[in-house]
Amino acid sequence: MPIRTGSRSWAALVVGAAAVLATPGALADGVDFAHEVVPILRKHCAKCHTGSARQGGYSFTDRTLALAGGDSGQAAIVPGKPAESELFLRVTSAEPDLRMPKEGDALPAAAVDVLRRWIVAGAGWEDGFSFGGAVHEAPLELVPVELPPPHAGRTHPIDRILDAHLAAQGIPIPPPCDDATFIRRASLDLVGLLPAPTAVAAFVADGDPGKRARLVRDLLADDLARAEHWMTFWNDLLRNDYTGTGFITGGRRQITPWLHRALVDNMPFDRFVRELVAPGEESRGFADGIVWRGTVNASQTVPIQFAQNVGQTFLGINLKCASCHDSFVDRWTLKQTYDLAAIVSADPLELERCDAKTGAVATPAWPFPELGQVDPAAPPAERRRQLAALLTLPRNGWLSRTLVNRLWQRLFGRGIVHPVDALRAPPFSPELLDWLAADLVAGGWDVRRSLETICTSAAYGAATPPVAGLPATAAPFRGPLPRRLTAEQFVDALWQLTGAAPGRPDAEVARQRPDPAAPPPAPPTAAWIWSNAAAAAPPGEKLAFRKRVALPAAPVHGACVVTCDNEATVFVNGRKVAAATAWNTPVTEVVTGALTAGDNEILVVAANAAAGGPAALRAELRIRLTDGTALAVGSDAGWEWSAGLPNGKGRYATGKEPADWQPAVVVADQSIWGAADAPFAAGVAAATATGPLPMVRAVLVKCTPLQTALGRPNRDQVVTARPGELSTLEAIQLANDQSLADTLRSGAGRIRAACSDDPAAIADAIFIAALARPPSAAEAAAVRDLLGTEPSDASVADCLWSVMMLPEFLFVR
Amino acid sequence: MAHRPSRDPSQAATRREFVGALAAAAGATLALPEPRRLLGAAPAPPARADAIIVLWMAGGMAAPDTFDPKRYAPFEPGLAVADVISTFPAIPTAIDGVRICAGLGEIASVLDRGTLVRSHVQPDLGSILHSRHQYHWHTGYVPPQTVACPHLGAWMARVLGPRNATMPPFVTIGQRLEGIGENEEIKAFTTGGFFGSEFSPLNLPFPEEAALAVRPPQGMDGDRFAARERHFKKLLAASPRREFTSDYHQESLLRSVDNAHRLLSSREREAFDITREPKEVVERYDTGRFGRGCLLARRLVEQGARYVEVTTEYVPFLHWDTHERGHETVARMHAEIDRPIAALVRDLEARGLLDRTLVVIASEFSRDMITEGRPGSTATDQAKSPKDFLLEPAHYGQHRHFTGGSTVVLFGGGVKRGSVYGRTADERPCLAVENPVTIADLHATLFSALGVDPATAFEIEGRPFYATEDGKGRPVEDLFA
Repeated sequence: MPIRTGSRSWAALVVGAAAVLATPGALADGVDFAHEVVPILRKHCAKCHTGSARQGGYSFTDRTLALAGGDSGQAAIVPGKPAESELFLRVTSAEPDLRMPKEGDALPAAAVDVLRRWIVAGAGWEDGFSFGGAVHEAPLELVPVELPPPHAGRTHPIDRILDAHLAAQGIPIPPPCDDATFIRRASLDLVGLLPAPTAVAAFVADGDPGKRARLVRDLLADDLARAEHWMTFWNDLLRNDYTGTGFITGGRRQITPWLHRALVDNMPFDRFVRELVAPGEESRGFADGIVWRGTVNASQTVPIQFAQNVGQTFLGINLKCASCHDSFVDRWTLKQTYDLAAIVSADPLELERCDAKTGAVATPAWPFPELGQVDPAAPPAERRRQLAALLTLPRNGWLSRTLVNRLWQRLFGRGIVHPVDALRAPPFSPELLDWLAADLVAGGWDVRRSLETICTSAAYGAATPPVAGLPATAAPFRGPLPRRLTAEQFVDALWQLTGAAPGRPDAEVARQRPDPAAPPPAPPTAAWIWSNAAAAAPPGEKLAFRKRVALPAAPVHGACVVTCDNEATVFVNGRKVAAATAWNTPVTEVVTGALTAGDNEILVVAANAAAGGPAALRAELRIRLTDGTALAVGSDAGWEWSAGLPNGKGRYATGKEPADWQPAVVVADQSIWGAADAPFAAGVAAATATGPLPMVRAVLVKCTPLQTALGRPNRDQVVTARPGELSTLEAIQLANDQSLADTLRSGAGRIRAACSDDPAAIADAIFIAALARPPSAAEAAAVRDLLGTEPSDASVADCLWSVMMLPEFLFVR
Repeated sequence: MAHRPSRDPSQAATRREFVGALAAAAGATLALPEPRRLLGAAPAPPARADAIIVLWMAGGMAAPDTFDPKRYAPFEPGLAVADVISTFPAIPTAIDGVRICAGLGEIASVLDRGTLVRSHVQPDLGSILHSRHQYHWHTGYVPPQTVACPHLGAWMARVLGPRNATMPPFVTIGQRLEGIGENEEIKAFTTGGFFGSEFSPLNLPFPEEAALAVRPPQGMDGDRFAARERHFKKLLAASPRREFTSDYHQESLLRSVDNAHRLLSSREREAFDITREPKEVVERYDTGRFGRGCLLARRLVEQGARYVEVTTEYVPFLHWDTHERGHETVARMHAEIDRPIAALVRDLEARGLLDRTLVVIASEFSRDMITEGRPGSTATDQAKSPKDFLLEPAHYGQHRHFTGGSTVVLFGGGVKRGSVYGRTADERPCLAVENPVTIADLHATLFSALGVDPATAFEIEGRPFYATEDGKGRPVEDLFA
């Protein structure tokens, strides 16, 4: 069969690769340089012959030096010829004066054999590998930055640094992008949404020189939109999702409600880190990792996952290599990884090297004792708190640098240190990195403020430069690079353009906000109830309370406020949604996903304290339906109680439903719990959606095949950057995904109606909404050609698709 | 109204010129997406096969009830479990003196074209979870892992590329990824992993609907589909932002869009449509989804696919995952796989493709009526069937997960014809007692057959990551002719 090879095809990718990457062998003749040769040289020889140590004038820091030899004048390594290689002759010499290593035992026979085979096979070397030196490491503490003088009145600190950087590189300062580009860029970058057409027009027409900064501040002030955009970034870094491996066997937890709230509230980053590292119930999913049933590799136990994830996500340190052996690519050791892991381990942790026990036991410790150390004798929970405190010390430059580097990467398409998985390459501007990090710390770890600082610089507002290939590591700054829309941005944009967002999210997150235009939320309707008016209950009495609610339309919002003297668990339709444990501290939870159109059952298991005393329950649901109807369902005499209790899932086994449901009784003296009134009312106000809810965002729904295809990861691992390229499979999905086609068609109808079927108006509407600019004359002609004089759903859908496939749409630039 | 773009599009060069200029400027540095491949000096082994078809027996195919028959006894109430190992009698095959289980007569008749490996072994991981073992078998790594591991097929696609530039190099057939138990765990390895989605499988859960995957969406005929792409190209050419198409990212984007449309409007896409086969051919294969999947696999390989996997589909407690009625269920599985596998081997042979196509029948582990895992294992027993005496027919069959020895069948692709490698003990526990073959070594064998060095490594997050775990897999050279 003829095999076609084209230059622009699936095959071309691989054909091209072979031509580029011809380097000396790394895996010669079954000898694995990284895993076999490096450890031998490192263990027996590196102390005297790498870096600045050049005993006998010989260093093998890199391959050139390794081959060259030292003072003897003999080539240390002659590829292919061990018998002519001084290094090999010396390690095998029987002559005590010549034999290496000088001190200690001779190399074991197995090690000699590895070196011999390695040299015979050509002494291959990992491309770019170096013993020491090559891995960049900034000083632990931030280096104070003296800002260069402003250039041409550009006074923003970032511009002062970058203008000097550009001048030093002989690169002209990039010109600003146009205003339409800027509003689309800032909107997608900061809140993840396309700007509204009216906002584009107003922004472009605005003559205020401060309008870009004002726009940035206005966008950032939309807490919900900002949070739901940056949630994608954090879900990737904290490996949080609604589905995925591990959930099936209870080996994994979400942190969704906590994360959403933390982002909406712009929780200071140091506290954010502390709550993840020394977590409460709601945020423990990150530190707990993923547990698979059965035995796992020693490098994947829960404590080691903790060390890896904390190291990578917060410190920009990659401990994955160092989970099996001392890292060959940077300085992190097996012991450092195990010591960090031991902080959270309840039991002593024995070091295992490549799955073999070593006999050594880890001491709970983190890798920067210069800043202080955890107390190895303290209990694990206390050690976690100590670690969290150490991590977030302002003097810990790793934490702040890692975060600002990743923010920069999202906003400029490339990290100051690239790639962003770890801080181990030289930054293109150390001054910029440390200034931004110091500014984050000085601003009280306020991430929103850092975003504002970055995006109000002229550098952020510069035009994107044309780039021919992938820039090298530490390539100088030339302006923001184009960055591909994330799967979530693409789907959000699709929903904006078509109005096809789903009615409610899968994530149980608080999206309701006080609507200043709407009347304030109605006060609570719920009363304290029990089985009798005196609230009399034997010690430890446990009763079930229920309320059945028929919803005439689908709910778009539901939240529940509950408190109990003494404890209550709330189930909605067999799903546990809330638990209250202190009568004076009502709990508020979003329950949207548990509610459904039609019949709903609210079931509360309420218990009196073992010590006795009065008992009562107070609960209220606030619900909003698709048709705008608002409902309040408060505990009252319309509820029922029974002593028959459901199972742990809030369900009665078939045939075990109680037959004795009786009307609940409003407790006569409601003032007993007066101290809970104010917090309960506040909870109800927070639980109420007074106005329409903002569009459901892609980040809040379970991953779909389309989102998967567009690069939303499954989040089994920490993800620090998504692929920048669109793959062929993704392009196939975009070409024929049925849900995409159907969505575009439904959106087409709305656009036709809004534009009264006028082809020119349709072209303008689509272009302005999608690209923040009207079509050029040539584009308008192309659209006219597509739509004809009588646009149809099909032709408008095809026009939408064509615009959404343009690079100008698929990239933020 | 917003501003009008100032640049006159007629002043800009055409995109075609940009592509040319890019090729000239970037030349060989038109890089692949990360990660970077680490090249060894050792030459890749000579390829014995150009394509591979993995026939996946999902859920644990019991060797004693399929390809490695042992002492047989029919069911009778009160039968001592110790007195029966196989629940099917053995039948002769086209290899002298080699027997497999009754019910696999068609495969028996083509067995002289292949090799039985009766000593494949797996770790039991302390607790059996099918999807976890399947992850291990398909990636070579035990989950969880610190990076997303690529599927075996993704390695083949990444290292070898497609045989036909229009065809997706890596296709999986027969496994639904939504709406079934453990689906997230199955998804986790049905992926290109850190190689990215360019090397992920085109997943076709229903072979009879495969043509839809390479067809325009429903409601859009071919003419409209073609017109839409034409209009897109026109719009692209008219774009005032066209100067940016010299960007590396945009070029790769447009290349992928072109690839997609080339496939979706190609002659090759007919390979996805099994209704184009003559009726009598469809009938030879059509024992169900798996059988139709085998036919689809043959068509795809004929058109130049590189790696195709057809699964009987993993659904907890269904198909090979027998937790009761094992004998009955396996008899049904025999009927499902026997004809199509034999037809596939015969058809590949008749077309002269078998010599260069490696066909592999494999499963995550075997099964036994008594032992969970292997002797001495800490794995929790998940079956309720008795280990002493059988009282009910529902308990007749293999209900426990056995990791001590299973069978892999290889056809074509340079392996020996009419050969048996390795052996399990004739009595319980039926451990592999001769030439055990681990997953790493089996993978090394498959990689070698396709001309891929089992120590091939890519750099991901600064570390080397190998085709077989730590590059340690060694091909079983004795399997090759």
